[in-house]
Amino acid sequence: MTVLTDALEHLVRGIVDNPDEVRVQSISTRRGRTLEVHVNPDDLGKVIGRSGRTATALRTVISGVGGRGIRVDVIDTDR
Amino acid sequence: MSETVQESGQDAQVPADGSDESVTETDAALVKEGDIAGDYLEKLLDLLDYDGDIDLDVEAGRAIVSIDGGDDLEKLVGRSGEVLEALQELTRLAVQQETGERSRLMLDIAGWRASRRDELSKLGRTTARSVLETGEETRLRPMSPFERKIVHDAVAEVDGVHSESEGEPPNRKVVVYRVE
Repeated sequence: MTVLTDALEHLVRGIVDNPDEVRVQSISTRRGRTLEVHVNPDDLGKVIGRSGRTATALRTVISGVGGRGIRVDVIDTDR
Repeated sequence: MSETVQESGQDAQVPADGSDESVTETDAALVKEGDIAGDYLEKLLDLLDYDGDIDLDVEAGRAIVSIDGGDDLEKLVGRSGEVLEALQELTRLAVQQETGERSRLMLDIAGWRASRRDELSKLGRTTARSVLETGEETRLRPMSPFERKIVHDAVAEVDGVHSESEGEPPNRKVVVYRVE
């Protein structure tokens, strides 16, 4: 189901400086599904927010829409 | 300073000189906030395939965005409004991303805030009256800033009582005292 991936990608694109570099990957694990959010390293602060507030808001919306079993991880790497 | 004042939302919305020109400029900025928010949320509804009509308004110095429609929208509210608060937060950030200014816009979905407002006003009034009668200070359950503001406003309408907020979010509570 790509609906959640697309929705999350849209939510993140709207709040960063480099929307074209936003990618969300859906990964299935034994413990359920994880949506990995990849952004330009300069946008990490915006996606995480102060004390993780923005990342929490993204998780809350995705759980509301897709159910509690879905994890959202903001990937912190320099590509 | 009591939180009632801090959260009253009366600050700096209307220019002190009250000139029509400045008011119009402020309104234009708020209309623009609503437009950006409307686009962000409409695209979200499209992607989720949820039915919803988006209504934009400016009220008391802030942009108001209301979404009404099908049953799916309840998922965007959450059991205690937590999804609605999260989505409002993200929408404010999306507006700020475009305008460069912090946004105070209010998002309502499926009339949730409107109905909470009625319940919380009632709670504020009943609590105020019982505190007035018994003189015992009363702590309410932890609430969001939106909820506390409504309770403070309702308590303020009853003479002889006074309310403050105490504790740190997310455990911040309204306390109602009798004025001796």
